[in-house]
Amino acid sequence: MISTGATFWHVGKWQLAVGAVMLLVAVPAWCGSLTIKVTDPSGNPVADAIVYAVPKVGTRVPAQTPRPVSIEQKDREFVPYVTAVQVGTSVNFPNRDPLLHHVYSFSPAKSFEIKLYSGDAPRTILLDKPGMVTLGCNIHDWMIGYILVVETPYFGKTGNDGQARLGEVIAGEFDVQAWHPTQRAQVNAKPVKIEARNNSEIEFAIDVAPRKKRFKPPAVGVRYP
Amino acid sequence: MAFDSLRTRIVVFFAALVVLVQGLAFFIVSTTNYQIARETIAQELGVGERIFLRLLNQQRDQLEQSAALLAAEFGFRQAVATRDAPTILSALANHGARASANVMLLISLDQIVLADTLHPASRLQPFRFSYLTKLAEANGRASGIVTIDGRLYQLVVTPVNAPTTIAWVGVGFTIDDKTAEDLKKLTALDVSFLSQRQGEPWRIHASTLSENVRSGLVPAITDAGKGVFEMRVDNQDHEVRLALIEKQGDTEIVAVLQRSLAEGIEPFKRVNTAFLILAVMAIVLSVLGSIVIARNITRPINELADVARRIQGGDYAQKVGVTQKGEIGELASSFNHMLDGIATREAENLRLAFEDQLTGLPNRAMFHDRLDQALILGKRNGQPVAVMMLDLDRFKYVNDTLGHPVGDLVLKEVAHRLRGLLRESDTVARLGGDEFAILLRSGEPERTSTVAHKIMHSLESPIIAGEQPIDIATSIGIVYYPEHGEEANALLRRADIAMYAAKRARSGFATYDLRLDEDRQDHLTLLGELRRAIDQNELALYYQPKFNLGIKAVTGMEALIRWQHPTRGSVSPADFIPFAEQTGNIRMITRWVINSAIAQCGAWQAAGHTMTISINISARDLLDREFVQYVSAKLSEHKVAPGLICAELTESALMEDPVHAQETLVQLHALGLKLSMDDYGTGYSSLAYIKDLSLDELKIDRAFVTGMNDDPLSAAIVQSTIELGHRLGMTVVAEGVETADELSALKRFRCDFAQGYHVCRPMPAGDVLTWLGRKA
Repeated sequence: MISTGATFWHVGKWQLAVGAVMLLVAVPAWCGSLTIKVTDPSGNPVADAIVYAVPKVGTRVPAQTPRPVSIEQKDREFVPYVTAVQVGTSVNFPNRDPLLHHVYSFSPAKSFEIKLYSGDAPRTILLDKPGMVTLGCNIHDWMIGYILVVETPYFGKTGNDGQARLGEVIAGEFDVQAWHPTQRAQVNAKPVKIEARNNSEIEFAIDVAPRKKRFKPPAVGVRYP
Repeated sequence: MAFDSLRTRIVVFFAALVVLVQGLAFFIVSTTNYQIARETIAQELGVGERIFLRLLNQQRDQLEQSAALLAAEFGFRQAVATRDAPTILSALANHGARASANVMLLISLDQIVLADTLHPASRLQPFRFSYLTKLAEANGRASGIVTIDGRLYQLVVTPVNAPTTIAWVGVGFTIDDKTAEDLKKLTALDVSFLSQRQGEPWRIHASTLSENVRSGLVPAITDAGKGVFEMRVDNQDHEVRLALIEKQGDTEIVAVLQRSLAEGIEPFKRVNTAFLILAVMAIVLSVLGSIVIARNITRPINELADVARRIQGGDYAQKVGVTQKGEIGELASSFNHMLDGIATREAENLRLAFEDQLTGLPNRAMFHDRLDQALILGKRNGQPVAVMMLDLDRFKYVNDTLGHPVGDLVLKEVAHRLRGLLRESDTVARLGGDEFAILLRSGEPERTSTVAHKIMHSLESPIIAGEQPIDIATSIGIVYYPEHGEEANALLRRADIAMYAAKRARSGFATYDLRLDEDRQDHLTLLGELRRAIDQNELALYYQPKFNLGIKAVTGMEALIRWQHPTRGSVSPADFIPFAEQTGNIRMITRWVINSAIAQCGAWQAAGHTMTISINISARDLLDREFVQYVSAKLSEHKVAPGLICAELTESALMEDPVHAQETLVQLHALGLKLSMDDYGTGYSSLAYIKDLSLDELKIDRAFVTGMNDDPLSAAIVQSTIELGHRLGMTVVAEGVETADELSALKRFRCDFAQGYHVCRPMPAGDVLTWLGRKA
């Protein structure tokens, strides 16, 4: 369990490193950046919070085709636990476990079901509506995953330090929103003006319930590669 | 069977004892049983309540589990996720049926009822039991007992996870009579479910109770309130326990657990009944047992009583046949010994009744018997029968002086000698004392007279008792049948009369003579009149002077009794004194004489004539213990000096009871009286007596004095007796002096006093003074 956690952690780091390289390599002159810090009401950093900046009317965002995203099932968990995607993203659910999974969602934003499979899922799911998609596995009740489908290409997920940085945000006015799967209440969006070559900072306080640990039986008779 | 009978008493005692013990035991058992029953029921209720609550919990857990499974079912979740009301409703109904749920609800996360299988039409009502969803949020699931439309449900609320909670599903199970029945099966208690809203009456939702008991439940609970109580419905007592199983807001839901006391007590009643039967059996058995024991005890006792009755009837042959050991056996054996003893003793008694123990001769009764038989025989054969009666002269003297053992030897020897003289067919009997009777069956006078002679002859030879020869003599009275009487009693009485006649006549034997009987009759009449004589003053004292030969003057008088009978004239003392002695009247006469003589002595002394008065004392008087005292009292009364009174007694009087006689004489002497020996010379004339008795005077019998001048021997006796008296320090009186020659001879012999016709005949007291005056 801890080792899987470590693996997950490692992957996160790796992703952040990729982002940093991109930031350093090419930042267009008309773009600014946004650093968002999410804490709970006591000021503790909140990880896995999704933050996204929705352009206000008048702010033009260049159209981009979102790249497909993979949400793996690893050690009978969704990895990552929380994912943000732009509307129109196709999501792949590769099964890394030596057993079958049955991924489904009954969420209004996207209701689907990929019946028992192993390896790469037989199909990808196109998330074509904004909103939250709660993922479950029909044969492993404790498996929960969240996808927040947003109508902006500017989104990110807080790390353990509660911070997320959105780079290459086109200058303009945005409403910045923060969301967390166990938030007790919706937080109000905060307006922010992104200026070119400038980093804006914004902070959110979200009342977050602790992640409910559901009973997860130990894997019996299963060998992980 | 009377209560006095031993058997009844034993039986009643045992029966009463057993009844008492069993009754007490039954009382204790039944009381204890009732208490145990009550406690058991209370315990059962307590246990039942715990089981009940546990069952309720288990049931709830089961329902919760099945509700959770239901909610987790993918298809169900999928249906819920469609948010299509008809779909959701049908899925609820469908999945509810799978879990045997009676109501299915879908509740939104914001507590709105999205679907309700009970009310399919109504929608979007707020969920009334939001406390359950809140509980479920915290615990994953929750359940409670609720009322919906007046019915009771176990409502389980569980989340619908997809995979996060997207709604709540409520699964309701009716709590109805069947539920109650199921619980009753497990708890053995009657179960009812009731609810009450504050201020409203109780409502029964489900119950195992019958309709009429059920209807009594609400009032009972309303009265009793909470906890444990008793209720009485339809004449049945119930122990009731109230268990609160749900309280939400103002509504309370309780489970009422109860047990019928009658049912609970039933097993104890059976124990009681069994005990009662046992008790009755014990009583019956003990009564039967005690009857058997009582019979075992009383049978031998009754047998003993039976034998005792036979013994009473004189039957000694039948022995007690009790063979039992122990006390009864001992009693029976003692009884048999007693029986033997009685038989032996009765035989002995019979023997004693007809046999004289000392001599072995037939006794008076047997003699009577034999005589009766002989008379019957004699009458038949015309044969004369003779009866002889005899007694031994001076036997009393032998007895008194030589002792009874010697007396007995004498009697035995006499019996032996008599027996030897007679034929086998004759009977010798000892009638008592020294009195014998002889029956001669062929009692011709010749033979009888021969036998009488033989008897006298045979008794002439002395009887040797020890080393001492004893002379005895006998007097025989003879009677003949039929000459002297035809009946035994008459014959015996007449034989007795004849015997006394023989004794008086000193003739050895006498045959009965009618004249004898007449004399006797005469005497009896006289005796009867004797009492009257004293009262009527018919007795009188005559005085005969005693002439003092020394001073030639009369210095004393002998008082002689006379009976002036109104019809017979003067009766001689010889005719009534002996009979008065025999009948005991002599005492009365003597006292009269003493009183009169002493009084007379006093009177004469007062008149200037001091004279001694001689009084004749009978043998009987000497045996009278009050005699001396009487004399002493009379002397004081009449103020007479004791020395003026002279007591005269005969030798025979002394011989009858020498010991007592001597005692009395010593006392009289001590009193100061003079003592005189009367009729000296005719009796035994024992000089030893004269020496011992310290006599003052000796009176020579008239037989020697009268006519002594013609009889030198008599004169010699008189003279030597006078000499003897003087030598022994006594004065001597000569009686029967009838001539002047005799008087002068006595003077010559130095006799002290003379008494007789020559001096003076006895005269009445009234003539004495005149006579004295003339003489002087």
